Amino acid sequence: MSISTPPRTAVPASKLGYLSGIGTVFGLEIRQRVRNRGWYIMLGIWFVVVAAVVGLAALSVGLEEVGPGQMMFELVIAFVLFFGMLIAPALSANSITGDRANGTLAILQNTLLTPGQLLWGKWLASWAASLGFLVVTIPLIGWAMTYGDVYLPAAPVLVGMLAVELGIVCALGVGISALANRTLFAVMVTYLLVALLGLGTLIAYGLSMQLVKVEVQVSEQVWPEEYQSGEFYGTWDEENYTCGTRLYPEQSFATERITWLLAANPFVVVADAVPQAPAPADEQMFNAAGPMGAISEGVRYSQAGPKSQIPCLNGVKSVDPPQAQNPGPLWPLGLGIQLLLAAGILVAGRNKLKTPAGKLASGTRIA
Amino acid sequence: MKTTGMSREIEQHRFFDQGITATGLARSFGSVKAVENIDFHAEPGRVTALIGPNGSGKTTLLLMLASLLRPDAGTIRVNGLDPLAEPRAVRSMLGWMPDTLGFWEALTSREILTTVAALYGIDKARAKVRANELLDVVGLGELADTPARVLSRGQAQRLSMARALINDPAVLLLDEPASGLDPGARVQLRTMVRGLADSGKTVVISSHVLVELDEMADAAVFLSKGKTVRSQSLAEAGAQDRRYTIASLDLAALRAGLESNNLQASYLGNLENRGGSAKLKLPGENRAAQLLGALVGAGIPITAFAPSSGLLEETYLSLEDEMP
Ligand SMILES: Nc1ncnc2c1ncn2[C@@H]1O[C@H](COP(=O)(O)OP(=O)(O)OP(=O)(O)O)[C@@H](O)[C@H]1O
Ligand SMILES: [Mg+2]
Repeated sequence: MSISTPPRTAVPASKLGYLSGIGTVFGLEIRQRVRNRGWYIMLGIWFVVVAAVVGLAALSVGLEEVGPGQMMFELVIAFVLFFGMLIAPALSANSITGDRANGTLAILQNTLLTPGQLLWGKWLASWAASLGFLVVTIPLIGWAMTYGDVYLPAAPVLVGMLAVELGIVCALGVGISALANRTLFAVMVTYLLVALLGLGTLIAYGLSMQLVKVEVQVSEQVWPEEYQSGEFYGTWDEENYTCGTRLYPEQSFATERITWLLAANPFVVVADAVPQAPAPADEQMFNAAGPMGAISEGVRYSQAGPKSQIPCLNGVKSVDPPQAQNPGPLWPLGLGIQLLLAAGILVAGRNKLKTPAGKLASGTRIA
Repeated sequence: MKTTGMSREIEQHRFFDQGITATGLARSFGSVKAVENIDFHAEPGRVTALIGPNGSGKTTLLLMLASLLRPDAGTIRVNGLDPLAEPRAVRSMLGWMPDTLGFWEALTSREILTTVAALYGIDKARAKVRANELLDVVGLGELADTPARVLSRGQAQRLSMARALINDPAVLLLDEPASGLDPGARVQLRTMVRGLADSGKTVVISSHVLVELDEMADAAVFLSKGKTVRSQSLAEAGAQDRRYTIASLDLAALRAGLESNNLQASYLGNLENRGGSAKLKLPGENRAAQLLGALVGAGIPITAFAPSSGLLEETYLSLEDEMP
């Protein structure tokens, strides 16, 4: 403090544009993250782990007839999604509690910034940070592409939906961060919510099985004569059967009634949104090569209900694959549920950030 | 002609509304009544000191004035605006320096200032100039590009001051700005705060260092247990009863001199010689000057004649005496 007179630059009364406020908060957050060495270390470890898994997949799947590209690609996506669900809460749930603990939140609130701008900026920044984990896997995706068997129309959708899911988890994290007082608590609650979506939906689905137990009328599968004889050396065609006429009751599960429980599962949302590769000409080839394809197919079977579980329902031969009776995609419902959840939490968080602050959580100070 | 009449009316209205006025403020946190009943006024162009013991509600009051905390009762006007109704309009002309020093540690001092400037809607070029100026003013020019993480407490305090000034606020709220500053920096802070007030800004400053406030404050508001216990100007403070210490080489002569002036005092003799000192209360500075003249005129060897404490300290201590 060497000059005794105050500075004289005239600073006119100014307005803060909505986008420019968001941009400033975004820049502030990103600069802090980019300067954090821990983030680079995490990215490095992350790349090594994903590369190792994908490499192993390339080795083992490559031994068979099927090209490993699709498998590797879907593995990368599944990996980024799975670990993204673990990393994104850690990246987002400290964004406001951290400022609160540092005493910097009040400084932000004392400027022309609105709570909405603050949340947008923080969310975008944490989303960008978690997308970093997707970006470093681009070389691996490129590697998978070199095998030439990746179903191309599905690739951008997979990557896009993955990015959307990461964005939703970040939104949950930022919203909870605005509501919570301690970072640890915010991270934990975000993990619980992510677990609710990822595992809770599965558990709910599994437990509701009992509720949709139904008794259906089935009949015998009748296989062609030559399959029965001892010396059959041709290819066994699983579809080559007819249904007997005598019906008898059997237990089955009307899974089509509870498949919606799976809708909000992030894996289901991503897998279900992806266009299906056309059934390969070669009947032998399993068309759902990777984990995402398998999930998608599983959901479609579940949507079809007993029709897909029982070869001869009511004496009628089942149609496979079950897409034939298209029940409509599941992911819009799932994405809708997730968006509603995130939006609800963000709106609550925004109210918590409004100043002048009314009620404060006990044991917290503004400054 | 009608319009000019109108605008003059508005101008007048504005003029009377300048500064900060708060009436009947109350705010509690759960069962803790942090602020029970505070009336507060700070005029533009003056430094108003906020004085009170720890936990008396100074920070809480400043938070309410800074539009961050909603009072449970009472009204606030900052330059005529209500922070509850128009928080953003108030913030654009308000600078607040919190008593906690929080910064984005990975950013440099310069970046912190330009970021906050951007959040006030100041464009990039002007923000840069402004940040440079302020960094020089607070003496952080050389540390402008080191991360805030490494700043010492005093340096962080200066940065916080610069941040509060970034939007050239008309109203400045400083919560214990002097804590952590070295003596030289305190003197500079004092000149700076005076300069800001003299340029027409409303400055509110809370501090425990009362001697320092004596030299920069124009008025003082005393808080205790969440209530305003006294508001006075420094001129009023100067006119009140004040304790003085008088030292002499000859205690017996001093005692005789004071008794001949009909003054009660407590005496303390030195062990090694005949000298000693007397403590007594005097009503105002005129009486003090008169007494000093009389004592010196009577040939008493006076070595020191000074107030025992600062002006504001005097009020503070007298208030503590009054407290149950
Ligand atoms: N958020 C809060 N929750 C609960 N109690 C609070 C909160 N903020 C302040 N208090 C209480 O309100 C009272 C006034 O606090 P405040 O911080 O305003 O005091 P202060 O005058 O600034 O003290 P100091 O001189 O120590 O800075 C204290 O008793 C404090 O414990
Ligand atoms: Mg305080």
